Amino acid sequence: MQLKYKIMVDPLIIRQDFPIFRHHPNLAYLDNAATMQKPETVIQGVANFYRKENANIHRGVYQLAIEATEKYERVRHRAASLIGAPSTKNIVYTSGTTAGINLVVQSFLEKRLSKDDEVLITAMEHHANLIPWQMVCKKTGAQLVVIPMNERGELDMDAFKERLSGRTKMVAAVHISNTLGSINPVEDIVDLAHKRGVPVLIDGAQSVAHYPIDVKEMDCDFFVFSGHKVFGPTGVGILYGKEEHLSSMAPVFFGGDMIREVSFEDTIFAEHPQKFEAGTTNIAGIIGLGYAMMFLQQYNKKQIVKYLDELGGYARQELKSVKSLKIVGKAKRKSPIISFHFKNIHPHDVATFLGAENIAIRAGHHCTQPLMDIFDIPGTSRASFTFYNTFEEVDRMVKVLKEMKKFLS
Amino acid sequence: MNDKLKQLYKDVILKHNNDPFHYDKKENATHVLEAYNPLCGDKFKVFIEVENDAIQSIHFHGYGCAISKASTSVMVQALENQSIEDAKELCKNFLFALHHESEGHPSREDFEAFAAAREFPGRLKCASLSWDEMSRFLEG
Repeated sequence: MQLKYKIMVDPLIIRQDFPIFRHHPNLAYLDNAATMQKPETVIQGVANFYRKENANIHRGVYQLAIEATEKYERVRHRAASLIGAPSTKNIVYTSGTTAGINLVVQSFLEKRLSKDDEVLITAMEHHANLIPWQMVCKKTGAQLVVIPMNERGELDMDAFKERLSGRTKMVAAVHISNTLGSINPVEDIVDLAHKRGVPVLIDGAQSVAHYPIDVKEMDCDFFVFSGHKVFGPTGVGILYGKEEHLSSMAPVFFGGDMIREVSFEDTIFAEHPQKFEAGTTNIAGIIGLGYAMMFLQQYNKKQIVKYLDELGGYARQELKSVKSLKIVGKAKRKSPIISFHFKNIHPHDVATFLGAENIAIRAGHHCTQPLMDIFDIPGTSRASFTFYNTFEEVDRMVKVLKEMKKFLS
Repeated sequence: MNDKLKQLYKDVILKHNNDPFHYDKKENATHVLEAYNPLCGDKFKVFIEVENDAIQSIHFHGYGCAISKASTSVMVQALENQSIEDAKELCKNFLFALHHESEGHPSREDFEAFAAAREFPGRLKCASLSWDEMSRFLEG
């Protein structure tokens, strides 16, 4: 169900929904690209399931099991409505973005891939959207081809067009770079790939929480995201796939709950999405994810984007006032994920100085080592914002960076 | 600024970070160690010239944070011209000073500087990175 009236995006009020900020009143949590904090409703939702509603799903005929199953399955509706999927049949529960990508690689692509075929990815992929494709290429003798980007961190779409060919069997692209914050033109990527009949997977790990997603409009073949990056629990995620793909894909995990009929001689699998969900899944986590998506759907995404554009713009502008700080990634379309580095100060030292003042940022290669090689830096410091973050937190971060710079030089 | 932070980044560490000891590549050394932390990407090569069961010369090169770089620099300075047995002992002393309160265990000032990393558990690995690798090498 979509709420007709949305709540205003006011970070000071929104923060009150997050118990972590009551326990750490002075915490400036600027590591949202790594994982987001959880609202009370999600924490309560998971706890209450175990406290009052726990039963295994799809199996029991008693009331508790029926209710658990209903609650679990209702999350599929919410996920479908959040990303504009036509049906709950398109929504596969996974353990996260990584699992979703691996499933597509093993179940969808592997059998279609042979020697000299090509898989296209972008230069800014997270290791999760790189290694699985790399491994299947090694296994089959196919080539992994990388779409380059310019120095601002924008994909080179001309190079993409050139690299798309009759040999291309799959395109996998990140929607928003977790390191640079660049927002990639996924609609154009899908459009160009489809003109050549090539299926496309979009890694939406960093986009679903803030940006309006409509997989029908985007027309991507697969879309993956993680629960914990949309205010939900860790260990759960969603794989969206087009009907024709999911119905033709064979399961890669076998076991209970994914079958229609089993004998010692053979097994007939259940239909999708159940055939991909062998064993007892993270039921409480999925239910928690449902509450997280409910939390998210209270807000108007346009308002979220507007606030984050202002906050991210302010942070970038203020960071420029810190001597010898360089921002890495200056794409025209960008999210509030900001990587920066100092010539002579290591990102871990930066993170330690900020951490000592209760400001949480990420330091390192952000699981994008090849991207760091392109920029010829071993790592960056990264501040990533969401709509419980405030302008005051930006000021605190910048103040500490200036003090640190003075102390270390 | 936070006092614990000042304690961590005090003179020893800043001095070694800005002006590391024997910071040079010696690819032809008898032994080349690689101290690498895949989680953060810090990577140092340590070039050791071993002769007659002693470290005749030792250099290092690479990339890392102030703590890991300074700790490697202190290590290189401390181990040069030491017998293998003495070098083992120094590694033990350093790692002990890093992980334990030093009362009753008088330690060298340059070693003690890293004890402040105990207040920053996320940074202990930075201080011990090259020393751990050196210990593994010496203990063979």
